[in-house]
Amino acid sequence: MQFWNFLAIRLVQAFVVVFIVASIVFFVSRLVGHPESFLLPFDATDEEIETVRERFGLDDPHIVQYRDFLSDLARLDFGNSYRGGGTSTIGALGERAVNTVKLTSVALVFAVCLSIPLGVAAALNRGKLIDWLTRFLAVFGQATPSFWLGLMMIFLFAVELGWFPTGGAEGFKSLILPAVSLGLLEMAAIMRLTRSGMIDVLGTDFIVTARAKGLRERTIITRHALRHALLPVVTILGIGVGRLIAGSVVIEVVFSWPGIGRLIIDSIVQSDYPMVQTALIVLAASIALANVVADVSYRLIDPRIRAAAL
Amino acid sequence: MTERAAAPVEGELFRPRGPIRWRRWLGLSLPGSIALVFLLAGALADVLAPHDPSFIDLAARLAPPVFDGGTWDYPLGTDDFGRDILSRVMHGARISLIVVAIVVPGAAAIGTLVGMLSGWMGGLTGQILMRIADVQLALPSVLFAVLLGSIFGPSLRNVIIILLIWSWSAYARLVRVEVLSLRERDFVTASRAAGAGGWWIMRKHLFPNVVNTIMVIITMEVAVVILAEASLSFLGVGVPAGTPSWGRMITDGRQVMNVAWWPIWLPGLALLTISLTGNLMGDWLRDLLDPRLRHVR
Repeated sequence: MQFWNFLAIRLVQAFVVVFIVASIVFFVSRLVGHPESFLLPFDATDEEIETVRERFGLDDPHIVQYRDFLSDLARLDFGNSYRGGGTSTIGALGERAVNTVKLTSVALVFAVCLSIPLGVAAALNRGKLIDWLTRFLAVFGQATPSFWLGLMMIFLFAVELGWFPTGGAEGFKSLILPAVSLGLLEMAAIMRLTRSGMIDVLGTDFIVTARAKGLRERTIITRHALRHALLPVVTILGIGVGRLIAGSVVIEVVFSWPGIGRLIIDSIVQSDYPMVQTALIVLAASIALANVVADVSYRLIDPRIRAAAL
Repeated sequence: MTERAAAPVEGELFRPRGPIRWRRWLGLSLPGSIALVFLLAGALADVLAPHDPSFIDLAARLAPPVFDGGTWDYPLGTDDFGRDILSRVMHGARISLIVVAIVVPGAAAIGTLVGMLSGWMGGLTGQILMRIADVQLALPSVLFAVLLGSIFGPSLRNVIIILLIWSWSAYARLVRVEVLSLRERDFVTASRAAGAGGWWIMRKHLFPNVVNTIMVIITMEVAVVILAEASLSFLGVGVPAGTPSWGRMITDGRQVMNVAWWPIWLPGLALLTISLTGNLMGDWLRDLLDPRLRHVR
């Protein structure tokens, strides 16, 4: 029962966060510019401007617009884009979201699949070559600015060697460079955490007991030590997903990747309020949800965590 | 048997008992001296830089650095406008320093205050304060910065405001967690029983115990803030065009990346070096002050 309470509280909190984000985005994006100027020719008369403002509800007081915005949102109606002949924003977002999801999930898979084995190998061979290499990689991975790394990789692997395309989204090959430059930071973080977690747990009594029982080394490491060492990794994964989504904006610009990040930046430039709102709300909701999932799975894996950590 | 260092004793965290052995300081020597070089280069950029960072010499466009066949006139070469890269990197260091000097202490102060208040008061106030921190976490910071940047226009002041909004919650979260456990401790109860007010306890008992945590985050945040400023400037919502900031220089260098390597490599290397230095100093300080914080990043 306590678990369901916890889940409910977490979900309500996430909902509150998304609501606040939506409100902030609404009021901030109303300050950006004059969308009517993008919808009309330069020589539009005052009358034409008025008509357009009326049609999109821009002449209402902000508080009325806000009320309409919230009631639409409650019905999951995200409104229509000012651009592209008034297509629905959520539809346009969906097309781009597929690309962002692809990019971030490949980056996450890359980070997890490389970091955990390396972290374990480093912890088991403390002070040896692999440990030094891993720590070196971790330190550099955390310090390298991702957009600069991306540009350098374009230069080396796409321009000089011609192994990968320089940008765009055509096939799996075009995914590799952006995913690696996006995932490197997360990889370094998880690797450090795995390594220090493994080192901690390998010195504890229950590992000594497992050894004394004569278990195989591999069983000890995978069944006993790793399960314990991965606990903090699960927590950081939730935050990591959020950081990947946020970081994908810069990477999408570097690699001209047609995802949400670029969509938002283009929409901001064009003062397409509904598009900006929808995209930011959807992103915030997915990040908030990722954090809830991390909290919940952390509790499921480790029953020692009590509600005190709320 | 365990690798874990003994938990530091309350109230004495900041002043280790006995003399600190000199070997402890060895780990600081390399990052410390690099940081010093950047500090001097940025602070004395007006005096030390060989050229005006904005002076355009079209006759010397894309001159290579001296170790790649260039001349000593432009030791690190010039960009596509013929501006001296060494001078621009030095002035870029100054921009980073200004941003760090305002954002890091500012964010630390706001974050510490919010974290302590929310941890100490708990209840509704604590919840509200922490939800604000959650909003900051859930709102993709780069996008929000782009939104703000496009409203207020690119300027150094706006970059600083954006980064302040961006970075205070890291402090608030950790300070809150520490305070939540500290407030249950006997010495706090004793102080309360003796009639101490909340403000007094926060100042005299809680703050001295979270100072170490804050110091460690501050060191880590230096690199984070520098990288964030560079990303914003790279996206075109940071400092105005033409300002010698490292992020801007990388954007500009991108245009000529296929003809000349130095305009994009050198500011990038400066960025990498300073961020590496910040991380190493943070690690060092964390090991010295508070090994429990190993899981922070």
